[in-house]
This record gives sequence, C-alpha cells and structure tokens, in this order.
Amino acid sequence: MSIIEEIRKNVFDGDENNTVELVKKALDEGKTAKEILDDGLVAGLRDCGDGFEKGEKFIPEMLLSSESMKVAMVVLKPLLLEGSGGSGGIGRAVLATVEGDVHDIGLELVGTMLETAGFEVRNMGPDVPTEDIVEAVKEDKPHIVGLSALLSNTMDIMPDVIDALADAGLRDSVKIMVGGAPVKQDFADEIGADGWAYDAASAVPKAKELRAQLPN
Amino acid sequence: MTYYMYSNVEEVTPYERMAAALNGEKTDRVPVNFYPRWAALEYSGITFKQGWEDPDLYVKAQIVAQERFQYDCVIDYDMMGPVEEAIGAKLKYPENDVPQIAEPLIKTKEDMKKAKWKLDPRKDGNMPKVLYAVSRLKEELIKRGRGTQQVPIWTWGSCPSRTAACLTGFKEWFLIVARDPDWAVELMELAMDGWLKLVVAACDAGADTVWINDPVSSRDCISRNHYEKLTQPYQRKFIEAIRRETGKKVVMHPCGNWHDRLDLVYQNQADGYFLGPMDISLCVEKAVESNEKGLSRVKCINGGIGAATPDTTDGQTKCDYATTMKRGKPADIEENARVVIDTVEKADIRCILGTNCWDVKGSGSANRDAVVYSARKYGQYK
Repeated sequence: MSIIEEIRKNVFDGDENNTVELVKKALDEGKTAKEILDDGLVAGLRDCGDGFEKGEKFIPEMLLSSESMKVAMVVLKPLLLEGSGGSGGIGRAVLATVEGDVHDIGLELVGTMLETAGFEVRNMGPDVPTEDIVEAVKEDKPHIVGLSALLSNTMDIMPDVIDALADAGLRDSVKIMVGGAPVKQDFADEIGADGWAYDAASAVPKAKELRAQLPN
Repeated sequence: MTYYMYSNVEEVTPYERMAAALNGEKTDRVPVNFYPRWAALEYSGITFKQGWEDPDLYVKAQIVAQERFQYDCVIDYDMMGPVEEAIGAKLKYPENDVPQIAEPLIKTKEDMKKAKWKLDPRKDGNMPKVLYAVSRLKEELIKRGRGTQQVPIWTWGSCPSRTAACLTGFKEWFLIVARDPDWAVELMELAMDGWLKLVVAACDAGADTVWINDPVSSRDCISRNHYEKLTQPYQRKFIEAIRRETGKKVVMHPCGNWHDRLDLVYQNQADGYFLGPMDISLCVEKAVESNEKGLSRVKCINGGIGAATPDTTDGQTKCDYATTMKRGKPADIEENARVVIDTVEKADIRCILGTNCWDVKGSGSANRDAVVYSARKYGQYK
C-alpha cells in the first residue's frame, strides 16, 4: 500500500494520530500537499461518506474521520495556501450550517476547498442562528454565502436565511449557495438560491462561476 | 372542502378512546395525537416563548386548540430544557421555538463536577413551571368536563442518551460514543435521574400518559452495535423506571430512521411507539413479529402521516415524506391516513393516528383538520 493509500485508509478509519504522522512522512517523501489532500484526505473522507450512504458508517465514525482530516489540515493548509498564491484573491465567502443542525463535516471541506481555490473564507461552523449569518454578511460583505444542512427538517431554515438577507437589503449583493445531503438542485431552485453543488469539489467551480457574476 | 364543519356528536370521550388504544383495545374509532405543540400555539396566535413565560396562556392555548381541532389529548411543554437547565446547562430561548443549548455544560470529564445531578423537580430551575402547567391543564380539563376529565394529558421525558447529548453538545456526544464508551455510560447513568423525577412529579400533578424521545440513537446517528451496547439499555431502564414509579402507559418516540434496529427498540417494552419517518408496513411487521416471540408488548402505534405515500396525490408537488403535513394538501393527508390506519389495524395493533414526528410548525389548519377527519372517516370500528 502506498503512503497516500495509507493516509486514505487512516482517514477512513478515523485514526487521527496516524493520519498526521503519515501526512508528515508523505511530505518528507516528496509528495505534494495537493496530492495528499486530494488522493489521501479527501478520498478517505469520501470513502467514509460512501460508507455513511450505505449504512456502514455512522456519525461517530464520520466525526472521527473528519477530526483526522482536520488535524492533518493543520499541517497541510499553509502549504496549500502557499501554492495557491495567497488566500482571498478571488473573493470572500461566508459559510454556515443553519440553526438547529450540528453537522459541519461538509462545511469544513467546502471551506478548505474554497480557501485553497483562493477565496477568503469565514467559516461560522454549525448551528448558526439566522441573525448571526445576516450580521456576518453585513460585516464581511462576502461575494458568496454558503449554507449547509444535513437534516430534512433543518433544510427548511435555508429559505428563512434567504428571506432575512433580503429583508436586510443584502440579497442582491451576494450569491447564495446551498448544499448538504438532503439538499438538491430542485430545492435550491424552489427557495431561490443561486447555486447548489453535489460535493465540496464541485462547490469550487460553482462558487467561481457565481463570483464572476458579481462586480469586484 | 372545510373539514371544520362537522359536528362533535361522538359519545366516547378522547380520554376513553386514548386509554383504550394504549391498552390495545377498541372503542368507537382510532384516536388522534399529532403532538399538537404548534397547532395549539398557532391557533391561539402566540409564540412558544410567550407560552413559556406565561403557563396559563400555554394551558389556554392547549385547551382551546383541542376543542377546535378535536384530537384526542393535550400535551405539556414537551421540550428539552427544564432538566438540563437545572443540571447546569445554559439555554437560549428563541422567540418562537423550543429552548436550545446555548453552551454545552460538559466539555471535559472535569466539567462533570459542575453539574447538579440530584434534582428536586418541585424546586429546581424551571421544573416547577412545567408541573404548574400540568396541574393547571388538569384543573381546566376537569372544569370543562363538568367534573369529569374528558381529554388526557401527555407529558414528555427525555431519554438518558438525549439528555447526555444535550449536556455535552451533540457533536461531542458522538465523539464520546466513539472514543470513550465508558464515559458515555457514566453520563447516561447520571442524566436519567432528573428526567425520571420530573416525569414522576408530572404524573403526580395530573399527567395521564408519558411519552419519551430519543433522536440520537437512530441509524441516522449511530451504529446498531453502539445502540445495542450503549444507549438501548438506558432507554429500557428509563421506561421500566417510569412504569414502576408511575404506573402510567409509556409511549416511545424513536425519532428518525430505526429500520435496522426495530427489533431492539421494541424490546424496550414501551406500550406504544410514536414513529418517526419510517416505513409503516415494516414497523408494523416487526412489531407483530416481536410481540409473537414474546419479546415486546407493543399495543399501539402512533404516527405515520407522511410516511405512507412519499408524493402528493396530485403528482405535481414533490413532498419528501417528512414534510407532507406542511407541504401536502388535505387530500394527501387523507390518503396517508387511510394507508396508515389500514396497515396498523390489520395487524390487530391499535392505531393512534398522528404525524411521523411532532406536528410541524406552519402545517396549517386544513391539514390538521384533515388528520382528525381521516380518523373519523377511515378509523371507525364496526
């Protein structure tokens, strides 16, 4: 098994300590940060997500995998940002999982991918009240607002956030993206979001496309 | 169609109808309970916070909504909060929603010392307010029934796993389950006592039935193995203790999807199960199987609306099955109800018609009316 495959397996197994050590070792062996991220960490997390879909993995196991990725990203992130030519060049994004929903694995991943793509990201984390999201948009004046929900009952908060942004006169200044397991394109259309992405990887080109529709 | 135009000429009271169903017996028809928190608040035009700050207002909302919609029980505050708050958690009270944890109380094992585990429901925190609401509901119902209580009161309790998760924060709870099962057990052991005391006191104050809830042990959350080894023993222990100390019927709400562990959940020995968004046929089939093996005592199944037909009958609006009450039309509710009643009653288990989780905020009077109308239309016993 190659070291990248080992990283992938350790993320899948949720072994935080081993993952970090393997990432350091892979860097020493000359693997690039991008290669370790894409083929090791993200692939391991995707395997875990597939396991979740199949009913073989559950939230505790998903969290352990996510924690493994997070601790490994402490090592990788500076190298990735270095490689992308600096953070924040493309635009700003505010990300949040809506109130009542404590899931943040997908959000973390989208945040990381957007950052490495050159966005300046404010990740507000899980269970964020609508009014706090509005406040963050007022403060940061982002180009992209990314909303996440993993539960079918919390996805109904998403239109409330969109309405609250409209009420605050902020709707036209941002592009709103939605995502999360139960969220699909038809739901995004129904609630008036600007974009939807299947996963973190496809969120990046979508965010870039939407960003390009806004003035600098 | 206006469902509200029927007259209330039934001779069996909601109290009798519900008591019979919980005992596996038939009266005139299938009773209805969709946990009418939002039905009551919305009908009275008050927010949850207003109802929480003024228990008399909450009691009035429950009473008048039951009289208006004619379902078969009233409920107390049925929310996470009073016990967790008395233990030491800080809650936030949104304007129109149930309280939420503002900051988890227990982040490390050292934090366990900050918790107050031994509680007196008649003195600590907001628990006396819950008891006051129950006793006022009782008084008011007896008054309205001219000396006889005609509508039962359901009170709510939180399973130990849920309480523990509220105290640690949900994400941390799942990490504890994965990393430190012994600590998870210790937390559940300590967490059980407060809710048990409140439920017992609520029954002393006048509650007639207890329902309990666990949203953190479904297959959406943890593995069957974690459920069987860690959290299920505490559900069962909680149910046994409630029955032993109150003598009341206990209904369990396995919230979410429990398809792969229905056999285990039925072994908790609750009298009834208020289903989450699950396949009603499978739930019934497993209950019959488990009862026949002598492993359970499932007398009634509550819920189901939304679970039976995923799409609306007009074929136009896609309704995922958790939200039919909110997004569907009365015809969708009727069709769901017909299937649910038929499926449950055919198995000779009593159906308590309801939604497949709490009555959803903003469901609308027409859909709520449609549930009761459907019980009258499809749930008559010959």
